[in-house]
Amino acid sequence: MHDQLPAAALPKPAPGLFWNPYLQIFFTVLLTAAAQILLKVGADHSASDNSVWSWLGLAELGSGITWLGILAFVASFGGWLYALRFLPLGLAFALTNGVHIFVPLGSWLFLGEHISLLRGSGILIIIVGIVLLAQSVAKVEEKV
Amino acid sequence: MSLTAWLLVIISQLALVAGQIFLKRAMSRREHGGEKARGWIGTLTIGIATMTVWFLLWLGVMHQVELSKLMPLEGISPLLIVLGAAAFLHERLNWRGWAGVGLTCVGVLLVSAS
Repeated sequence: MHDQLPAAALPKPAPGLFWNPYLQIFFTVLLTAAAQILLKVGADHSASDNSVWSWLGLAELGSGITWLGILAFVASFGGWLYALRFLPLGLAFALTNGVHIFVPLGSWLFLGEHISLLRGSGILIIIVGIVLLAQSVAKVEEKV
Repeated sequence: MSLTAWLLVIISQLALVAGQIFLKRAMSRREHGGEKARGWIGTLTIGIATMTVWFLLWLGVMHQVELSKLMPLEGISPLLIVLGAAAFLHERLNWRGWAGVGLTCVGVLLVSAS
């Protein structure tokens, strides 16, 4: 696997804000977080019995909300593949940790779940980490 | 954790790293065009298949192992991806990038542990 070009030779995305790969990573993160929450709501809405269907997670497929969650997952994969065309894998993957910020926040907003001090501290540390990653990108692009 | 569970965890994490590297290679090939673009769909398919293996193994492990023991492994996956990308894609991070990856790993560990 030696076909990776140096940063200076990485391909440029099409002009326009929507095609910015970092914005696409942000969409990926938002859609993944939405998918997780929709799947949770879908699972709660579906019948909770002890049948084989329920145990295999197939009972949840009867809920429209679950299908919305699956749709959000598929859409997030599209954004991820687009971003991979332009960004280094290690950086892009680390940025997707934003999911761990939006899932607890969404669960708090929409599901009424509690954010503990430990979880809140973890979210803050992830935010600092992502800011550092963003700064590292800015430094690399300055050099290019 | 039993030896089988450890083995499943290690294979699933390797599948995650390998799957993401295949996806990245496929999309880079597609973008560069020309000779290199040939076969990108094949590489993409291998990537998706490897990610499917990771997902199924991870689900299997989650059935067998307590979540609290698995969460640290989820936390270190960004680090494994960065190491894999450095080894196979020759990607390099500056110190801010490494610090960012380290902090996000710690943050994910805390969120997962709470």
